[in-house]
Amino acid sequence: MLITLNNIKPIYMSDDEISSSDIYLKNNVLFEKNKKYLISASSGNGKTSLLNFIYGSSTNFEGNISYNGVSQANIFDFRKSKISYVFQDFKLFPKLTVFENIQLKNSITNNKTFEEIDNLIENVNLGNKKNSLVGSLSMGQKQRVALIRSLCQPFEFLLLDEPFSHLDEKNVKIITKIIITELEKKDASLIATSLGESYLFDFNKILKL
Amino acid sequence: MLIKLQRKTLVATQIIGYSLTICVGFIIVLLITQFYFDIKPLLSQQTDVFKSKTAVITKNISVFKTINKEKIYFTEKEIHNLKEQPFTKDISKFMSANFKIKAFSNNTESVPVFYTDLFFESIPNNYIDVETDDWKWGSSLDFIPIIIPENYLNLYNFGFAESQGLPVLSKNTISQIEFFIEISGNKKLKKYKSKIVGFSNKVNSILVPEMFLLWANKEFGRVKENKTSRVLIEFINPSDKNILEYFNKNNFSINKDKLEFSKIGFFFKSALLFVFAIALVIIFLSIAFILLSLNLIIQRNKELILNLYNIGYNYNRIAKFYQVFITLVTVTSVVTSLIISNIIRNYYLREIVSFFDFNESRNYLLILSLSFILILTIIYNLIILKNIKKIVIQ
Repeated sequence: MLITLNNIKPIYMSDDEISSSDIYLKNNVLFEKNKKYLISASSGNGKTSLLNFIYGSSTNFEGNISYNGVSQANIFDFRKSKISYVFQDFKLFPKLTVFENIQLKNSITNNKTFEEIDNLIENVNLGNKKNSLVGSLSMGQKQRVALIRSLCQPFEFLLLDEPFSHLDEKNVKIITKIIITELEKKDASLIATSLGESYLFDFNKILKL
Repeated sequence: MLIKLQRKTLVATQIIGYSLTICVGFIIVLLITQFYFDIKPLLSQQTDVFKSKTAVITKNISVFKTINKEKIYFTEKEIHNLKEQPFTKDISKFMSANFKIKAFSNNTESVPVFYTDLFFESIPNNYIDVETDDWKWGSSLDFIPIIIPENYLNLYNFGFAESQGLPVLSKNTISQIEFFIEISGNKKLKKYKSKIVGFSNKVNSILVPEMFLLWANKEFGRVKENKTSRVLIEFINPSDKNILEYFNKNNFSINKDKLEFSKIGFFFKSALLFVFAIALVIIFLSIAFILLSLNLIIQRNKELILNLYNIGYNYNRIAKFYQVFITLVTVTSVVTSLIISNIIRNYYLREIVSFFDFNESRNYLLILSLSFILILTIIYNLIILKNIKKIVIQ
């Protein structure tokens, strides 16, 4: 899938605020298949908003986003099969356990077997928390759960919104490795946002907001 | 997993409260409706005069009127005036025969010989409390059906037959006896076959079909004009105190006991209607309560619903749990009401049958319950879907 942004700008931002952006108010900003993109900007510059626009969970923007050339695509259906998103606020369900949160997403498409899910949980060092309620986890643990959950569906684009903000170096390495494996397996692209910190991904393009 | 998550959003006390109130409401509504259909034949055939709001009025007969008989008839002006009263819904005149009538039997073994003079009257069919297929007349038929008051039979069986040493007769036996009617007047004479086809509890007269009397009065009547001495009046509200006031003022006679019967019937129906209305209010409140509760649940879990939508659950799937749940609760409640209503109905039917000659009416409980279930589930499903859609698509 090819995602094309044309003259995108959040409604709540003025033209002056976004004068030096590589994305906002630019024509023909392309996100292509099998590539990794980093969107870098300081806090409050609309990184989350941009991912929400692409994901279709916010329409507070001017301009046009097209998916494979179609601008009025049914974005909702993409959430099941084409675009996966790790939200900055995770959007987990605190009254469900770690496993249940992941299975809740996985059951939409049955993309992974229980065994595969168990392995992923083990790999991110949450094996002992598999049956704990997510509400009782630390921020770092929740972030790992959200990252694993995002891998439990077919996707062509993986959107990561400041994905490692609560993780230590050891866990960042583990998660990065898992994500790269999944991206290669699915021939998928990555769009990650960052406050400026460096990631272990080999990005094809770094865009400033 | 989705069910487990959404189940945690429900509040048990609200659901139990809804189930109980809607169950009670439906028991009352189902029972009252069925009870009304069950006792309808009793109300129209046995309880009161004619229908629930009717009475027969005549003029008071005084010594003076025994000399001048014209005074017992209602004038057109009086009838018109009566019709115009605010308490009057409708008026029907009793029609009397204006010719000579004789009834007699042939000398057969089955019927004892008798010969008697008679009189006939008629009233509109819808005021007659006897239901029989024989109640019809056509000019080509030489048969006249007759309805007599049940009191006449009682007078014969318990008075006349007792003193004369004659056998007592059942309604059925009398209805089998065929006899002859001879009507004469206007220099004409005609003989008809006849039978007693029914016994009235309400009309104290010998009745023949109105069509026959209209025709016969023309053919055999002594006078052209039909005079009216008895009037059947249908009230809008029989408990209106102006009724008796008006009749006393105009010196009309009304059977007050019968008016009381009418009142009982009227109050009985009013009471049923009142309880029915209360039950409807209970149902309405319980529906409003559960809709409000569901709306609160949805609003309180707005974030959860939005998160579900964000991870790929569409609003139809999110709404499905609440739709199925409320449908199940409603079906269970209404089915429970249906079972309890049936048990209570069987109980009261047993009681009624022990008091009255009563044919069981059709059971409407199942069809009523199914209709309620259908209407409620459609309303709930649409409202839930609308509310959830409103939250996710902002």
